[in-house]
Amino acid sequence: MTVWRTFKWIRVATLLVVAISMGSVCAVGQGAKKSTVDQDGQQVAQRSTSAHEWQKEFDQVCSTTQEAMSFSENELAKFVQRCDALLPQIEKLDETRKKVYLGRLRMCRGLYAYVLESKRNEKK
Amino acid sequence: MKRNERGYPLFTLGCAVLMLFGSAAAQIFLPPAPPKQPSEYGKVVLDNYASKPGSPGAVVFDHWLHRSKFTCRLCHVDIGFAMLAKATGITAESNGQGFHCGACHDGKRLVKGKPVFAACSSSPADAQCNRCHSVGKYAARKYEYNTFTAKFPKAMMYGIDWQAAEAKGMIKPIDVMEGVTFRKAQIQGREDFGITAGVPWVHPVYFSHDKHSIWNGCELCHPEIFPTAKKSDVQYTMYSNVHGRHCGACHLRVAFPLNSCQQCHPRAPMWAQQ
Repeated sequence: MTVWRTFKWIRVATLLVVAISMGSVCAVGQGAKKSTVDQDGQQVAQRSTSAHEWQKEFDQVCSTTQEAMSFSENELAKFVQRCDALLPQIEKLDETRKKVYLGRLRMCRGLYAYVLESKRNEKK
Repeated sequence: MKRNERGYPLFTLGCAVLMLFGSAAAQIFLPPAPPKQPSEYGKVVLDNYASKPGSPGAVVFDHWLHRSKFTCRLCHVDIGFAMLAKATGITAESNGQGFHCGACHDGKRLVKGKPVFAACSSSPADAQCNRCHSVGKYAARKYEYNTFTAKFPKAMMYGIDWQAAEAKGMIKPIDVMEGVTFRKAQIQGREDFGITAGVPWVHPVYFSHDKHSIWNGCELCHPEIFPTAKKSDVQYTMYSNVHGRHCGACHLRVAFPLNSCQQCHPRAPMWAQQ
């Protein structure tokens, strides 16, 4: 009887140990998963921030085309450079967005370069 | 053979050669007549995917309807429609993503207080495919040219005088669309100038930057249509216009047609003054 009781206690203890170890493994796994999710979330957030950044930069650069004639040669050259810097970022976008924004960037850069050239020609 | 008899065939041959050259020159340098019906002028048929199985058919785009509501710049610069038909690559998907037609036609955007119907919507409630995919479909379109433009001032030679319509307040083309356009500063005025005609009996062209930039902004024309910034390099000819370059990029297809001579060469030809 005593042997039987001892065996029962051993079984219960083993089950407890197994349960605790499984629980801890799950907890560790979930923690790891959570940290991966967090990392992904951070990456998405970073990506969207950078997406917003190119959009912000694009808006800033290309919203002043109407005033292009009032800019100095230096300012125009900087606008052309900023347009060139935007190009690789826009090329990473999805197909439709890329097509639309590349077209807009081409026109915007083209105008600054055109006005810059005409100002240089006026000086000659 | 008598002298008269020898000269007659030569005279006929000379006339025939002259007529041939004249006709060839006219084909090359004179602008083509626009379609008889002004409603057809500027009509664009988009049939890139019309032959695909399950396609709702080709799309008809009327410039006259859209230009009464929006500036050229808004659509061709901010929204990104190409200046050549079928070159934009519009798809139901791109419309659904809020680009191209979908930039306005999303079922939500209000234009002059009314929501613009959704393009290529998957919702059956919004299904108005035939309004755009209307080739060969009777009474599919909502607006009809003659009714829509009945009160608009007519141009001297052809169609509607859109500038006069705007001046009279009959149309107010929208230039800024929330979420599509960024607010822009007032355009810097550029000087108007004259362009000497290539032949002495035609008056020079008086080009107005003001008139053109109101609807087009700067970047729609420069540098893609008018690429050079050096005035001495510019060679505008009727040949290039008739072949869709320079002024012909717009005035051959949408803006008042090239054969409305006096709208660009504003005075009467030299021979009329004498």
